[in-house]
Amino acid sequence: MSSHRLPQGGLIDRSKPLAFTFDGKPMQGFQGDSLASALLANGRRLVGRSFKYHRPRGILTAGAAEPNALVTIGSGGRTEPNTRATMQELYAGLAARSQNRWPSLHFDIGALNGLLSPFLGAGFYYKTFMWPAAFWEKVYEPFIRKAAGLGRATHQADPDRYEKRWAHCDLLVIGAGPTGLAAALSAARAGARVIVADEQAMAGGALLSETATIAGRTAPAFARDCAAELEALPNVTLLTRTTVFGWYDGNVFGAVERVQKHLAEPAPSVPVERLWRIVAKGAILASGAEERPLVFGGNDIPGVMMAGAMRSYLNRHAVAPGRATAIFTTNDSGYALARDLEAKGLDITAIIDPRESGGADYAGKARLIRNAVVTDAHGGRSLSAIDIRTGGRTERLAVDALALSGGFSPVIHLACHRGGRPVWSGEKAAFLSPASLDGLAPAGAASGIAGLAACLADGAHKGASLAAALGFAASPIPFGPVEGDAPAAPAKVLWSIPGVRGKAFVDFQNDVHHRDLDLAVKEGYGHVELAKRYTTSGMATDQGKLSNINAIGLLAEARGVSPGEVGTTTFRPFYTPVSFGALAGAYHGEHFQPVRRSPLHGWAERHGAVFVETGLWYRSAWFPRTGEKDWRESVDREVLNVRNNAGLCDVSMLGKIEICGPDAAELLNRAYCNAFLKLPVGKARYGLMLREDGMVYDDGTTSRIEENRFFMTTTTAYAAGVMNHMEFCAQALWPELDVRLASVTDQWAQMAIAGPKSRKILQAIVDEDLGNDAFPYLAAREVSLFGGRLHGRLFRISFSGELAYELAVPAAYGDRVAEALTEAGQADGLVPYGVEALSVLRIEKGHVTHNEINGTVTPGDLGFGKMVSASKPDFIGKAMLQREGLNAPDRPRLVGVVPLDPGQSFRSGAHILAKGAAPTLENDQGYVTSSAFSPHIGSTIGLALVRHGDERHGEDVTVWNGLRGEFTAARLCAPVFFDPANEKLHA
Amino acid sequence: MASLVPCPHCGPRPKEEFTIKGAALPRPAPTADPAEWFDYVYLRDNPRGSYAEYWHHTAGCRRWLVVSRDTITHQVAACRDAAAQGHAA
Amino acid sequence: MPDLRPFPALAARKPLASSRIRLSALPEGTILQMIAGPQTPGPVDGLERLAAKTGLALRAISPGQWLLVGDRPTPYPQACRLLAALEPHASGIDQSHGRVRLHLEGPMAATVLSKGTAVDLHPSAFAPGHTAATLVGHVSVHLTRLDAEAFEITVLRGFAEALWDDLALMCAEFL
Repeated sequence: MSSHRLPQGGLIDRSKPLAFTFDGKPMQGFQGDSLASALLANGRRLVGRSFKYHRPRGILTAGAAEPNALVTIGSGGRTEPNTRATMQELYAGLAARSQNRWPSLHFDIGALNGLLSPFLGAGFYYKTFMWPAAFWEKVYEPFIRKAAGLGRATHQADPDRYEKRWAHCDLLVIGAGPTGLAAALSAARAGARVIVADEQAMAGGALLSETATIAGRTAPAFARDCAAELEALPNVTLLTRTTVFGWYDGNVFGAVERVQKHLAEPAPSVPVERLWRIVAKGAILASGAEERPLVFGGNDIPGVMMAGAMRSYLNRHAVAPGRATAIFTTNDSGYALARDLEAKGLDITAIIDPRESGGADYAGKARLIRNAVVTDAHGGRSLSAIDIRTGGRTERLAVDALALSGGFSPVIHLACHRGGRPVWSGEKAAFLSPASLDGLAPAGAASGIAGLAACLADGAHKGASLAAALGFAASPIPFGPVEGDAPAAPAKVLWSIPGVRGKAFVDFQNDVHHRDLDLAVKEGYGHVELAKRYTTSGMATDQGKLSNINAIGLLAEARGVSPGEVGTTTFRPFYTPVSFGALAGAYHGEHFQPVRRSPLHGWAERHGAVFVETGLWYRSAWFPRTGEKDWRESVDREVLNVRNNAGLCDVSMLGKIEICGPDAAELLNRAYCNAFLKLPVGKARYGLMLREDGMVYDDGTTSRIEENRFFMTTTTAYAAGVMNHMEFCAQALWPELDVRLASVTDQWAQMAIAGPKSRKILQAIVDEDLGNDAFPYLAAREVSLFGGRLHGRLFRISFSGELAYELAVPAAYGDRVAEALTEAGQADGLVPYGVEALSVLRIEKGHVTHNEINGTVTPGDLGFGKMVSASKPDFIGKAMLQREGLNAPDRPRLVGVVPLDPGQSFRSGAHILAKGAAPTLENDQGYVTSSAFSPHIGSTIGLALVRHGDERHGEDVTVWNGLRGEFTAARLCAPVFFDPANEKLHA
Repeated sequence: MASLVPCPHCGPRPKEEFTIKGAALPRPAPTADPAEWFDYVYLRDNPRGSYAEYWHHTAGCRRWLVVSRDTITHQVAACRDAAAQGHAA
Repeated sequence: MPDLRPFPALAARKPLASSRIRLSALPEGTILQMIAGPQTPGPVDGLERLAAKTGLALRAISPGQWLLVGDRPTPYPQACRLLAALEPHASGIDQSHGRVRLHLEGPMAATVLSKGTAVDLHPSAFAPGHTAATLVGHVSVHLTRLDAEAFEITVLRGFAEALWDDLALMCAEFL
């Protein structure tokens, strides 16, 4: 393969050669090359195999729409399949691999699919594999999956860093081509906050490939000067390598910046990609226009290329397309290419123009064939000849490069992301942006304007007027005369080409050709949405950027209507693929979600806690000791120790809410189903909160610290929800109440001290008298500690059924206070206990948690029926609780359950059957909500919700675990296994 | 990606700062007919178009707001503090 | 007598610093949350005087809600008096341990925060003295611009370390 690099010219830096490989073969390019331009410069045309037929494919475009030149780059966790060679900047050491070929790109067995093509046409999925059904899974699908496809993703973790950022501006300019630069400068010079985003490595867009001059400067020099001015302005952010991929409500734009994807070794402290959310008061869509391919036989053969792309490789990268080039154009843009090719001394074999008088201004040497079309291209892995049809005659020309231009489609994707439908313009033969857009103004080529001078003027005008509308004294910048401008007049519409013999591709990436679309129409799938799904046209990773317009044109022709009548499929974000890395940002691994740390975490850690993730918290589950064989042994010891001596447990993660103000008691009275108005100062009360549908929502204790100051605790799981709910009650339901709510969960380190010796231990640090008379059950008061050195809040409440307290101290002191208590209690056998032991203790005592409060239970179901106030005029849930069904006698009610044989066990979730009943849905009596081994009872015990449960104590039943096929003979009993008379509580 | 809610206290903020409760309906009197309560607790309109909902600015000012939003375009037509007009909606 | 020195939430995190960014923990001093009743027209009478008298800085956090913050702890009896000072118009709640304050400073401070919050931190939109309750990443914070290049970030104590670690990641490219 010989070099196609021209000896001079282009925006490449010839002093910086870059070595890279393609399929292991060493090659060389220059700084400023894309992978595509470097491959072309090395004479490499065949770069991939197509999705379905495994046809040889080359490089068709020079930009984001590239359907063919998809390669895999990088290795290990940095492997990136389906990278568009046209968008990948070349770097030293880049290793690119072709895709969808085996064993090699040149000899690909999958190409046999081409022979099967009669069976692989549109809808083949639905037709071919109808029967036998078993064949689908075992034969067809694995075969198709193996043969079809693109690159393969890696299973290794991505080692790189990603992040997200918000940005705000007066004006977002999408695209830094002539229109975008003119718009940005016109707004920025007046002082507006401007963000300019462009997907290329440098600003300039089409200017970088342009040979026209602006006020005497070359187009690339003009772009460079504009970019330099923008970069120097403090009110401008110029984001290169940044694709704006979506327009969202609130005029927020999503963009992804490829910060380090052009580097072999990214700096580890810098993200490789940054996801931007840009809040813009106004935006200009200066995304340019996409050139349309023409649909003739073999239009996918390597060597066939879009005319604008060929011009870009020629002017920007100094790469010659071939030795004998033909140009097939339906508009004047092909002549700009011809002019530039000839200026560089390259031969043009012919210009084929289907128009009667196309190329009237053409003054070059090439043979101009009017009223003509290319019907077929030939050549397999590289173009060798084309068939030209004119006036009924067909002529074959030997060429090795063919440029195509079927006209231009404004790139309006973003303008359609918020539901607007594109509008067909017969005059421009193109779909234009939805008519009324609020916050986004298409400009330049994206609005259907042609020519450099016109785009500059339109950009300047729109940039200035948007800035002026925001109050800036902006006026359009005049940029001076443009020389050599070649505005492409609207193209002659040429959807289908008569006389085509080979496969004429519409969607290159998904291998959809002209006949597939005809078939779709014939078989009744002519609606644009149906045709898309039937043929898969437009469904590949390029989302039909090149193909959709031709598919619509062909459907229109086949149906005999206008393209406007066919319409488009829906445009949705993302404009081009966005990596999962960018979407996840920094939030993975240990940053996936924040960890909430208890102020007693360190204390628990020092005492050997095993932690369990509970929501965002890490709670100490149990505290193993040397010699203990398993967790059960540790938990049993902790439970018995609480029953016999005392234990200390971290309960800091309970939700805590301080409720102040003259109406605080009234709010509580309405939020809880039981009465709170008359709770005395210095007392705690258990409270049950319902939902408006009458079901129990949450429970906890609330204490009256002062007349107008309450301290509410919630369960850990519902802490955030209860706070939101209380605020809803105070703000939305009863704003006339004067209450002040504050979450104080994090203010207090809270510890439960439970067990018969807890009073004695606590008394060692609490200054006030803790005698049963001075500090009785449910006392709740501020206390002085360590001789007045510290103040805390002490509550005599019990979850375990033992004499117990909860002590709250300011969080930063928690660790030391817990340590002091642990030390003070050592002589009395105080040891830490975790949530596992806490759970056993509460099941033994029959206390409910969210295992029981599962959204289906009423207070009555839990045995709290009498707690519900009958006299309060209103509380949340009061009205709906009266419903008949919620008071039906056969509702599942809380009951205890024990195995008849203490050696046997059952699990939570197991169902209750009447003794001897068959395990069927009809016989289901309820289910076990909580279970644990009770060292106190000496067997498994459970709490269950069982029909008529409260009336069935003593009845023998079967506990049925359908998942494990276990049946356990058991007996229902009162849901209190420990100290039913509450003597311990009041001791 | 976005959806900015114009909080009357904090300015435009992204939806991740909010908790949505659902339709902003007036709570019936405790003595209201059971059918009225049933409607309040269970029945929702699910309109295509304008919808008034309770949004809580959980990660911001922690105020409950009534957000009037178009369910097709997500355009927010109005946003007020839920306490601003006394009883709900 | 037992050791009763307080244990700062960010004791295990050392300041991160470069010429472009500096992240550090502020002293765990005083944070009092003052909440006015719904019928009290804001600003509450006497709030500013209370701040001036105590030397505490006033931060608006929400309609009718403020934080009074300072670097030194307030002794218990004095704190009790302060919490009740504005009754019945406003109630005070001690959050000196419930919240932790971080300090982010340097020319890249606003850029770092923009990786977490949607609040527009441009000086024209968020001048020194401005405050905002917002999300930084996944964590709720209260943000105050202290001067052109310095911010105070107040966070729930339990989230302080997680927020620090997230901020450290956001700062990394400038360290």
